[in-house]
Amino acid sequence: MKQYLQHIKGDKAIWAIAALLALLSFLPVYSSSSNLAYLYGNGNTLGYLLKHGMHLVLGFVILYAVHRIPYNYFRAFSIIGMPIVFALLVYTLSQGTTIDGANASRWIQIPLVGFTFQTSSLAMVVLMVYVATYLTKIKDKTISFKESILPLWAPVFLVVGLILPANFSTAAILFSMVVLLVFMGGYPFRYLAAILGVGVVMLSLFVLTAKAFPGVFPNRVDTWISRVESFTDSKDAEEGYQIEKAKIAIATGGVAGLGPGKSVQKNFLPQSSSDFIFAIIIEEFGLIGAILLMFLYVWLLFRILIVAGKASSRFSKLVVIAVGIPIIFQAFINMAVAVELFPVTGQTLPLISSGGTSIWMTCLSLGIILSVSAKRVEVKKETDEENPLDILSEAV
Amino acid sequence: MAFEDKNILHRLYIIAGCLFLFVLAILVKITNIQFVEGEKYKELAKVNTTKNFVIPSNRGNVYADDGSLLAISVPKYDIRFDAVTVSAENFEKNIIPLSQALSKKFNKTVAHYESLLRNARATKNRYLLLERKISYSDYLEVKKFPLFNLGPYKGGMITEQSTVREHPIGKIAERMVGYERKDADGHYVRVGLEGAYGEYLRGRDGRRLKQRIAKGQWKPIYDENEIEPRDGYDVISTININIQDIAHHALLRQLELYEAEHGTVIVMETKTGEIKAVSNLGRTKQGTYYEKLNYAIGESHEPGSTFKVMAFMAALEDKVIDTSTVVDTGNGTHYFYGKKVSDSRKGGYGKISMGRVMEVSSNIGIAKAIEENYKDKPARFVEILQRMNLDKQLDLPIIGEGKPKIPHPSDKSGWSKNALPSMSYGYGVSLTPLQTLTFYNAIANDGVMVKPRFIRQVKAWNKEIETFGVEVINPQIASLQTIQKVQDVLKNVVEKGTGRSLYSPDFSMAGKTGTAQTEYWMKDFASNRRYISSFAGYFPAENPKYSCIVIIHKPKVSTGYYGADVAGPVFKSIAQKIYIDSPTSDVIENLEVLQASIENDFQEYYELAQKNYAAIPNVKGMSGMDAVSLLENLGLKVKVSGNGKVKAQSLPEGEKLIKGKQITLELSS
Repeated sequence: MKQYLQHIKGDKAIWAIAALLALLSFLPVYSSSSNLAYLYGNGNTLGYLLKHGMHLVLGFVILYAVHRIPYNYFRAFSIIGMPIVFALLVYTLSQGTTIDGANASRWIQIPLVGFTFQTSSLAMVVLMVYVATYLTKIKDKTISFKESILPLWAPVFLVVGLILPANFSTAAILFSMVVLLVFMGGYPFRYLAAILGVGVVMLSLFVLTAKAFPGVFPNRVDTWISRVESFTDSKDAEEGYQIEKAKIAIATGGVAGLGPGKSVQKNFLPQSSSDFIFAIIIEEFGLIGAILLMFLYVWLLFRILIVAGKASSRFSKLVVIAVGIPIIFQAFINMAVAVELFPVTGQTLPLISSGGTSIWMTCLSLGIILSVSAKRVEVKKETDEENPLDILSEAV
Repeated sequence: MAFEDKNILHRLYIIAGCLFLFVLAILVKITNIQFVEGEKYKELAKVNTTKNFVIPSNRGNVYADDGSLLAISVPKYDIRFDAVTVSAENFEKNIIPLSQALSKKFNKTVAHYESLLRNARATKNRYLLLERKISYSDYLEVKKFPLFNLGPYKGGMITEQSTVREHPIGKIAERMVGYERKDADGHYVRVGLEGAYGEYLRGRDGRRLKQRIAKGQWKPIYDENEIEPRDGYDVISTININIQDIAHHALLRQLELYEAEHGTVIVMETKTGEIKAVSNLGRTKQGTYYEKLNYAIGESHEPGSTFKVMAFMAALEDKVIDTSTVVDTGNGTHYFYGKKVSDSRKGGYGKISMGRVMEVSSNIGIAKAIEENYKDKPARFVEILQRMNLDKQLDLPIIGEGKPKIPHPSDKSGWSKNALPSMSYGYGVSLTPLQTLTFYNAIANDGVMVKPRFIRQVKAWNKEIETFGVEVINPQIASLQTIQKVQDVLKNVVEKGTGRSLYSPDFSMAGKTGTAQTEYWMKDFASNRRYISSFAGYFPAENPKYSCIVIIHKPKVSTGYYGADVAGPVFKSIAQKIYIDSPTSDVIENLEVLQASIENDFQEYYELAQKNYAAIPNVKGMSGMDAVSLLENLGLKVKVSGNGKVKAQSLPEGEKLIKGKQITLELSS
């Protein structure tokens, strides 16, 4: 055992949290899969359990592999990754998958394996690391706004713009995460205000165009508007239905919950194993279960702060923040949706919700964080070795 | 740019702080949903997702005394058609064959069905009624019709099942069998046996709590039903369908003949009080009759002359008169306190004995006898009647028994000087047919008044739940002496009194006719007289087996109205039919009488057969049958010619026995 454990580097607490979340995820995922099996499958729930297990195993393989990579490599990876991400996003959007006439091209099919993959999640991680790389590069310079447009904002707006038509919430979260990261990375306030303004103007333009010429390109503008409207007016729309069911689930769960597998609302909540899994968790495990889960995420946040605080270099600090904060943010957004603090979005509960992309990207992010924390330990032992990819990143 | 790592961390801590506040807000919101809005959402959960399903119990059956079914619950099916779900191709291909099949089954034209179906398709009717309440076997047949055999989605056949109470013997005794329905308020409308024994028949509905799941389906929450349904018990009634059938048709024939308004017949088993038949027929506007109301139990009316027996018996019991007491009935009219009473025979009966008064049903005779003896103490007379339970209801399980009325001098209203003489011939009192019959049955039963009974047993499958025995209302309504005198009088009524037209030498009956005026208080009575004709009695006159009452209201006067003419024949026909139709069982004893000669023959043969033969025996003189069996048992092939006894045998006696060898016998008688 010790032998195996010595291969595992970095913050042990983060490892523990990840493992705990992954293990706990089986309970609500298995429970809510019964409805999916009944509705879409042949009634056999074992398949869903195995699938979720495979997602997690693959996720932990990614986690392990990534955490063994020295973190400096990620600077180069992010730069190489950006064009790939653009290509993938364009390909995804061009598929033209529609839900009720609205663009819902979020997934691509991975050939041979048969898995589907949500490219915007990968784009998020890559873009965040890229921004961290950029911020590290300008740490000792005084840059003008103009100078930052091409290397920073052009890629950001491009990625966000490619995600936006099909997935508003991810685009919005990604943009806010970038803004947050840039804010923490010391980018001048004045410039940031301007960028926020540009962001708002561009979004308005997009919405107005979509409204004015509904047939020009498929988009989900109407869905967003109805979601926001239903949140503010609590109209009896489909979202209102989902929220009502989620609240019923939370209310019936009470302090101790109905017990594992005893959820009733899972039969009526359309996204019971992903978007609304938090409501199902409260229904089955009660307030106690909810607090435990929230504690795990807060603990993870705390560990991320520690890793960031102890990280030796500017890049290591920024990259931990860049990939760590979105995990926590995503988790809390998911919870906020279930309790009606936030309009309905498609955000998953990291490591708990079913769905491969979400699990793998969370593992990728955690791997990066662990790589940083592992490096710190090693740095104490030996001097920094020469990283060939550093040269590449310096060059770009 | 002088931006330190320290500043990054400060900003990070601010963001982390915000996230922490965010998570606290989520927590607050959760507790808010759980505790502040909790009740509302829990209620919503209950309303939306759980439902108590009723599992209906099966109602028990009602049986006749011999186990024939009187009432049973059967499933019935309404067949409807969804004209939209069927594809155009299937519709066009099958419409003609389907119309033909429907036409053959339900006796309407093919064109009728075709236009019906086409019209439904044109108007997008998804719920076209084709046939109502068809039986299960018909339903199975219809399901196999062209188009319908494609299943509910492709074929468009909609079936709705309902449970219907069916009466295998039809309209006969419908009112007595009755029904039980729940009205909108949840109260039961209870009629007849079904209503009376609803507690047994109903059973108990089960309950099952189910939870809604996707696709609009419900799944049971627990493994077991919350309340297990219990099927209703079967009720074995005392009704005999043969007697019921006889009573029904005899009454019906007479009602039709006399165009009477309504009538009722009750047949009761003397010893046990079991009601064997109840028929209640009322007239429709079209002049046909059907089981309209339960007159037998519900209708209390002035009995008229049948009540003379009660008055007569009271006076006999009080020993103020005897059958031989002579009373002067005068010239056929007599005034009691200014009220004219007349007898049916013009000129009257003159001086006759009390027995004869009863036989000829003299109003004056009985009224005078009672008036003379009780005018000073009318209460005494009434109290004797009360001792004979005439003022009490029978306390039947069937709802709606009419109240008897026997006025008492102490009553504030309804008593006058005239009340006593009127009462003696059946006016100013009121009884239901069943109450009158119960009294007559007590006479037949030597004074033991038994309660009329409608059920024998309550069963759950073959398990007995409850058995009902004889219930005695009054162990002796009058002394045996009195009873015997009354019995003699009732017998004489049929033999030489008002009922002599009913007399038959083949079987004996005893009873009393009654012809009561009714609605005489109405203005048009003088021009439109209305009567209640009745006959109450029992048969056979000796050792009575059944008692019976027939009451026919408002027969057409021009055809006849006397009890003996209108009601009497129904009574006679029931009595006669029960005699003729009841197979008499003649037991033949000692069917196998031993005959000495046969016995001897067998003995002889038996001895011969028991011997061990080594050679051919002599069979000459034996009967052919015996010889053949004897020889064949020895292994010989026997050929026979002629019949009778053996005259000659082809192989002589004493020859060596060789199995399979042929022997020819010559027989002659």
